[in-house]
Amino acid sequence: MKALHHKQEICDGCRECEKACSKAYFKREDRDYSAIRITNNFNTFHAVMCTQCGECINMCTANAIYRDKNDVVRIDKELCVGCLGCVGFCTELAMHYMDDLMVPFKCIACGICVKKCPEHALVILSSQA
Amino acid sequence: MGRILKSYEYEPGKIFRGYTGKSLYINVGDLRIEEKEVTQLMKDKFIGGKGFDLYYLWKAVKPETQWNDPENEIVMSCGPLGGITQYSGTGKTLVAAISPMTDIPVDSNAGGYFGPLLKFSGWDALELQGKAEQEIVVFIDGNKGLIQIETAEGLAEDSHILAEELTRKYAEDEKDMVNVSVVSAGSAARHILYGMLNFSFYDPRRKTVRFKQAARGGLGTILLDKKIKALVVRFKGINPNLNDVADIGLINKIGVKYHKEMRDLDEKQNGMRKIGTANTILVMNKYDLLPTRNFQTGGDPEAVKISPQVFIENFLTQGIHDGCWYGCTMSCAKTADHFKLLTGPYKGECVTVDGPEYECVAGLGSNLGVFDPQAILEENFYCDTYGIDLISFATCIAFIMECYQRGQISQEDMGGLDLRFGNHEAVLELMHQMSRGEGFGPMAGLGIRKLKKVFAEKFGADPQLLQDIGMESKGLEYSEYCHKESLAQQGGFALTNKGPQHDEAWLIFMDMVNNQIPSFEEKAEALHYYPMFRTWFGLMGLCKLPWNDIVPADNHLTDIPARVPEHVQNYVDIFNGVTGMQIDKAELIRQSERVYNFQRVFNLRMGSGLRQHDKPPYRSMGPVSREEYESRQDLYDKQLREKQGLDPEKMDLDEKIAVTRKYREQQFELLTDAVYKRRGWTKQGVPTLEHLAELGMDLPEVVEVVKQYL
Amino acid sequence: MIIVNTQEHPWHEGMTVQVLLDEKGYIFRHIIVRVNGEYVAEEDWARRMIRDGDDVVVLHLTAGG
Repeated sequence: MKALHHKQEICDGCRECEKACSKAYFKREDRDYSAIRITNNFNTFHAVMCTQCGECINMCTANAIYRDKNDVVRIDKELCVGCLGCVGFCTELAMHYMDDLMVPFKCIACGICVKKCPEHALVILSSQA
Repeated sequence: MGRILKSYEYEPGKIFRGYTGKSLYINVGDLRIEEKEVTQLMKDKFIGGKGFDLYYLWKAVKPETQWNDPENEIVMSCGPLGGITQYSGTGKTLVAAISPMTDIPVDSNAGGYFGPLLKFSGWDALELQGKAEQEIVVFIDGNKGLIQIETAEGLAEDSHILAEELTRKYAEDEKDMVNVSVVSAGSAARHILYGMLNFSFYDPRRKTVRFKQAARGGLGTILLDKKIKALVVRFKGINPNLNDVADIGLINKIGVKYHKEMRDLDEKQNGMRKIGTANTILVMNKYDLLPTRNFQTGGDPEAVKISPQVFIENFLTQGIHDGCWYGCTMSCAKTADHFKLLTGPYKGECVTVDGPEYECVAGLGSNLGVFDPQAILEENFYCDTYGIDLISFATCIAFIMECYQRGQISQEDMGGLDLRFGNHEAVLELMHQMSRGEGFGPMAGLGIRKLKKVFAEKFGADPQLLQDIGMESKGLEYSEYCHKESLAQQGGFALTNKGPQHDEAWLIFMDMVNNQIPSFEEKAEALHYYPMFRTWFGLMGLCKLPWNDIVPADNHLTDIPARVPEHVQNYVDIFNGVTGMQIDKAELIRQSERVYNFQRVFNLRMGSGLRQHDKPPYRSMGPVSREEYESRQDLYDKQLREKQGLDPEKMDLDEKIAVTRKYREQQFELLTDAVYKRRGWTKQGVPTLEHLAELGMDLPEVVEVVKQYL
Repeated sequence: MIIVNTQEHPWHEGMTVQVLLDEKGYIFRHIIVRVNGEYVAEEDWARRMIRDGDDVVVLHLTAGG
């Protein structure tokens, strides 16, 4: 299973990852459109993003969430009806939506943010599911 | 198969703020298809859903119209909020017609995809009038803007096969099957009066067609009488804003908040995601409310055999989404998959059984004295695929069984069936007879009101006893609660528009357990507020369950927890967010009151709707038999002492039963007075002209009817 | 004697909210308990003692239906 991992001890909270993510997928630098969100808790930086746990797959009311060949959890935009059930059910709070979008979005472990992170605090790891 | 009799192309109406602005009229007799404008008056006064159904039905029928006259209409509408995907329970279709059971309008609602797909195909409502010459299928393709009426030869009779055939036929490919929904009845609906309608949706996980039912009042019987084998709608392209709502941000926000509540609280509260409405079986049993052997008692030690846990552990598939419309995270539509049938034409086959819902387990289980989960699921399956209203069937057969138990009818009278309480084999055989139109099936399919006459006239049964134990009012069978110790609930069933069902008010806990509404005025207030509030779901295309089968964590801190104030506010906000209007909680009730009073006047117009029509049978109010009295002797004796100042020690059993009866019947009359007053009706149950004027429902045709009764 | 939902109910030593609920057969999960008007959370039912003369309200919220 491929998933994005965040090294809390290295991250300095620059949020370049958020910019890279929202720019890559929504052509804007706006963290509300980023699938990774860095939060600051007394200068310890925590990353909120999908762990690829797949809890949302079975609860999806449109059967629109699946694992791809790399075991990454993906949303089929054709099937998704934008009910936002997965947004409410995600225990990681890693499923996001914006009112101008028809479907939610999430981290798909693409690695774009990994390349942009100046501190090398992000890494894509593969593990046996 | 399927010769095309009529083809009609249309430009689908553009949906704006929940309405397409158009409704579809189809006369299956002369194959006329017309488009009608949805007027501002309709939106203002009737809102949608059941309101639109009743509006069109009123125009279609005359006071003397019978259910099987060609002018009787089946009208369907899903309401302005129907089809939004962000909140749970938003896919209901409301259906109305003049009922073969009650001869007055019946409205019934169903999940499944038909209503929302109909709206997205361009229609706020669908009227079906006339009678076809030969059996037909009506197909609506919302993407192509095409309506076709085709002959139905070669199609299966029973819904689980028929709906699958039609879904495959009209879907473009396997992926498209989720975009097709079928409305159909089943083989038994040809031979009985309480035939129901199945509303299908395709489950891509199980790769099978599933159903929800508009079950009450004989709608399936009417469909087949019109020679409509099925209705099919296809629409591809569901998205979260097909309703073109006024404020999508508001709808999204409320939706996510609600989904989180469901994630965090359902397991601690009702466990709807695990078992659905059947979660309450053991609770009802413990509180003496589980109807057992025709509502004689409120429970049985054997109820543990049909407990929620038994179904969860042995039958119901867990852990996957089970909603009957998109976005419903309550997900209560459970199924038993790979269920092997032991009887009937499909014996030996493995099928998917939807449910069981509470009414199923209580009705087909305890109320028939059946405590075998396998048998209950098999009965459930056959009710569904044969098109039998499960509640009317269960309550009617419970009545027949008690008539047999008390020697009022014989085994021979039932064509040899040994319909003893608990004999599930005989129950299933009776269902199969209904499907084939043979034996005792068609007679048992008349419903209790007509059977009382038959049993008295043909078999010499005692009419007074039949009247006392036959659990029907207005011609409709009661739903499954043994509620005789709750006066408010006696009213909740009998003081209703379409007959005794549980979609107006469920007040048993509030009344009998909490003792929250001791006075007649307090009971009357509850019998005003809850029926009006719940009528609103029927105007909107919403399901009742997400309102109070889960509540916010801080609900106990609110002023009236039973109303679930935060969820009511959600509904107000969603209505405003969809329509762009600005209603509040008071106006929400007003919207319902208009339609509720219209329906009451509609009953008057059809020769019913008066005080004399709101009477319950005595079984609903108190102990009919000696055994019933004895089963709760302490309670009844205590009431004699405390409420009537009598000494039960000095009375014999029959005397105590008679005195209790007289008292309880008086109490019901006093309750009726209080409820009518609160609802703005005369002592005869007629809405006053002042009240109608105040509501803005003093439409000329309404006033004309009411004047005859004032 | 105590009052439970406006009706009299016999009181005894060692009666907690949970003991009372068991005695009354109140197994419904969707209930709200108040003792003398004060809300008692579910996690406290086993500890919260009921004294003679207390006025207890056990509100069953409607479900099903």
